[in-house]
Amino acid sequence: MKLPKLKLERVLVVTGRDAVKISVLSIIIAFVVFSAFILFEGANPIDVYKCVFSYAFDPKTGLPTMIHRSTLLLFATLAFILPLKAGLWNVGMEGQLYLGTVGAFAVAYAYGDLPSTILIPLMLISAGIFGAVYGAFAGFLRGKFGVNEIVITLMLNNIAFWLLHALIMPPTGPWRGIAESQSRPLPVSAWAPTIWRLPFTVVLAPAISILLFFLFEKTRIGFQIKALGSSQPAAEHAGINPAKIAIFVMAVGGAIAGLSAYHMWAGDPSFRLIPRPDAYKGIGELTYWGIMVGLICLLNPLAAIPLSIFVGSLREGGTVIVRRYGLTYGLDRVFLGILFLSFIALQFFYRYKIVRKKKA
Amino acid sequence: MSVLSQKIIDLFGGRKEERSQLSEKFWANLKHGEVVLEARGITKKFPGGVVANDHIDLEIRAGEIHAILGENGAGKTTLMNILYGLLKPDEGEIYIRGKKVEFKSPLDAINLGIGMVHQHRKLIPAHTALENIILGHPKAGKIVDIEAAKKEVQELCDKYGFKIDLDAKVWQLSAGEQQSVEIVKALYRGAKLLILDEPTSVLTPIETERFLKSLRSMAGTEIAVIPFITHKLPEVLSVSDRVTILRKGKVVKRLETRKATMEALAKYMVGREVLFRVKKPKVKKGKEILRVENLSAISDRGFLALKGVTFSIREGEIFGIAGVSGNGQQELAEVLAGVRKASGGKVMFEGKDITHASPLERLKMGIGYIPSERVRVGSIPQFSLMENIALSLYFDREFSKWGLLDYKRIREHAEKVISEFEVMAPGIYTRAAHLSGGNLQRLILARTIPRTKKLLIANLPTQGLDVGATEFVRNKLLDCKKEGMGILLISEDLDEVLQVSDTIAPIYEGKFVDIIPAEKARKEIVGAMMTGARAK
Repeated sequence: MKLPKLKLERVLVVTGRDAVKISVLSIIIAFVVFSAFILFEGANPIDVYKCVFSYAFDPKTGLPTMIHRSTLLLFATLAFILPLKAGLWNVGMEGQLYLGTVGAFAVAYAYGDLPSTILIPLMLISAGIFGAVYGAFAGFLRGKFGVNEIVITLMLNNIAFWLLHALIMPPTGPWRGIAESQSRPLPVSAWAPTIWRLPFTVVLAPAISILLFFLFEKTRIGFQIKALGSSQPAAEHAGINPAKIAIFVMAVGGAIAGLSAYHMWAGDPSFRLIPRPDAYKGIGELTYWGIMVGLICLLNPLAAIPLSIFVGSLREGGTVIVRRYGLTYGLDRVFLGILFLSFIALQFFYRYKIVRKKKA
Repeated sequence: MSVLSQKIIDLFGGRKEERSQLSEKFWANLKHGEVVLEARGITKKFPGGVVANDHIDLEIRAGEIHAILGENGAGKTTLMNILYGLLKPDEGEIYIRGKKVEFKSPLDAINLGIGMVHQHRKLIPAHTALENIILGHPKAGKIVDIEAAKKEVQELCDKYGFKIDLDAKVWQLSAGEQQSVEIVKALYRGAKLLILDEPTSVLTPIETERFLKSLRSMAGTEIAVIPFITHKLPEVLSVSDRVTILRKGKVVKRLETRKATMEALAKYMVGREVLFRVKKPKVKKGKEILRVENLSAISDRGFLALKGVTFSIREGEIFGIAGVSGNGQQELAEVLAGVRKASGGKVMFEGKDITHASPLERLKMGIGYIPSERVRVGSIPQFSLMENIALSLYFDREFSKWGLLDYKRIREHAEKVISEFEVMAPGIYTRAAHLSGGNLQRLILARTIPRTKKLLIANLPTQGLDVGATEFVRNKLLDCKKEGMGILLISEDLDEVLQVSDTIAPIYEGKFVDIIPAEKARKEIVGAMMTGARAK
């Protein structure tokens, strides 16, 4: 049998359907590749995958935490998607989350006597503003002086980490608690009201998804953002001010990441305070998965909802398989790494397609 | 029969050392004035019946500077590519030192001592000048003796008067220095014939002067220098020995430079034919809408590209700026569109000072801009036709309310202008990336012209378009004129400027050489002015 000759052909425009195919394919490839790792570790991949999802979606075990963490992931994803639509890489969700924490807790500690109906909105607004200012700072530097926003936001992450550190660490941290290295607990009135063991913020994040979708599809600013993200020179010639848009997207992105701080600490019954630095750092690092979710869902804020749940369930379920099957520690993260790699590898198909060579 | 030249070509990669020895042997005992390159009856036809080169004969002697002149489309590039081995001629032979050669690729030409310096630099910006020069040299095998190479290269630079900081990264060098690097690279590889494509187009006056000196000293060492020139005649001609002029793929004249005047050369280049005048609609000029006073601007590379131009445009007037690209037109257009800051001077629109107005404010005033870069600036390829059109509508109250875009109205408008401007596409949801050049330009016109009320700036609007699309664009410009708009037309095509404009300003090195009413403009004179010859 003769093999058909193949050649590469440049792709000018990726259609929506092709893009979805690429995303789905990258997920499938990740599953296949990870199966090899599981086999190498001496377990049955099918059993392991079953276990991952049955744990993550079982209301008695992993479901509440999974949804809670997936929501955080969705916040982070949305905070990443919006700036990238305008061509800016916000990798500062971690720092914006910490700043949001500062904003929310400052209000809660100062006005802890207020009734929940006033205190909680105030905390949300404050968290949003703190995150927005932190994001907007990077947006301003990029828009006005052309400073690379990736570098800035990454560095700001570190600053925010140490800021929070200084606030909660004894002996001088003003928010230090009784227990070593944690903050004082939040006043009860600041706790997020729950519906079926889940905080109300679980609804807030998808609501923002829908708002962003609306922003991109219907509004003038959304159109300007898309134009700038597609071609800066063309956008500039069409009267779009890149600096203004940069500040706007980074501010709103930062605000979304800031809001997630309230969701995280006031929403999960096991926290309701700022935990030890290694613990809040762990949560902060979770926001980086927002980059991956955002890229795989092709910057579509609606697609980000199921994808966040998918990645969140892998992460929650992944912690269990390590224990249950005695797999090497960290293998759950390997899966997410593979998923990311396969997605990046398949970026190739955004530029080229393989076609059968016709005989001359 | 084993000819040395063929032997050099037949040697492959592994025997680089041997090849360069053979090359040295081949070029031994070169005498001044000896014929080093001879092309006989070079003919090249392209699909579609275009005869780019029609039996061209060429003779280059050692140690001479032999300029080849011709307008765009005269066949210069084709000839150059044939001499450098990028294209194969359909007919004709090339002889080097009397030996017939056939190039399979530019590598063959390089190995036989032909060097080429392209108009667009082909260097690696992140490497140093020295690294770029020795890259690909036979001596630079697996292990490079940097110090020895540096010494050799430095000697070459000193010999011909090139001032290059060899340790500087290429991206730090100016355009002129980068050109020097390319020339030294070719010399270092042992070039005896140096083809230069439009060599002075990117140089500043001081750089040009130094560059011309280097050319002379190269010619002094039996290297034949062959500059190919479209428009910038004066500088290179001042040092060349002989000139061959091409027109429509044929050699129309060979002469010695000292016997030629610039006007005569321009005449040979463009031909004698009398101006072909299209029917220019008679429109009474209205009041002045644009007034530009002593406007200057700095280019992306940081030098003063526009050096104080003053002019005005009235309603119903087409003001044509004729010039070779890179003489400040791009900067002028961008300053007028508001995307580049003026470094001096004033822009008045209907009596208001708009020098510092943003692009958006200008769009709202009814100033339209057709940029020269259609894909990068004029449109967004991944946007649909409708979205591209919306780029000129989104800010208008008529198409958006309370921050929301009225997509129904936008769609109606898009459908209307797309049929009006005859954009061939399956529908308004087709992406702009799928449009051909002419169609894309129609889309850009459809986007811009209906939204333009007073002033239209058209920057190279027909460049690269086929005949039909060119005609369409020119007629649309004339339609705008009939509607009473003022139009600024920037073009490299002298015929086009003469055909449609009412007033003509040849631009050279950031300044208008003159401003002439169309009735009094003669092609030869304007053409000479574009290339730097002063008005009498």
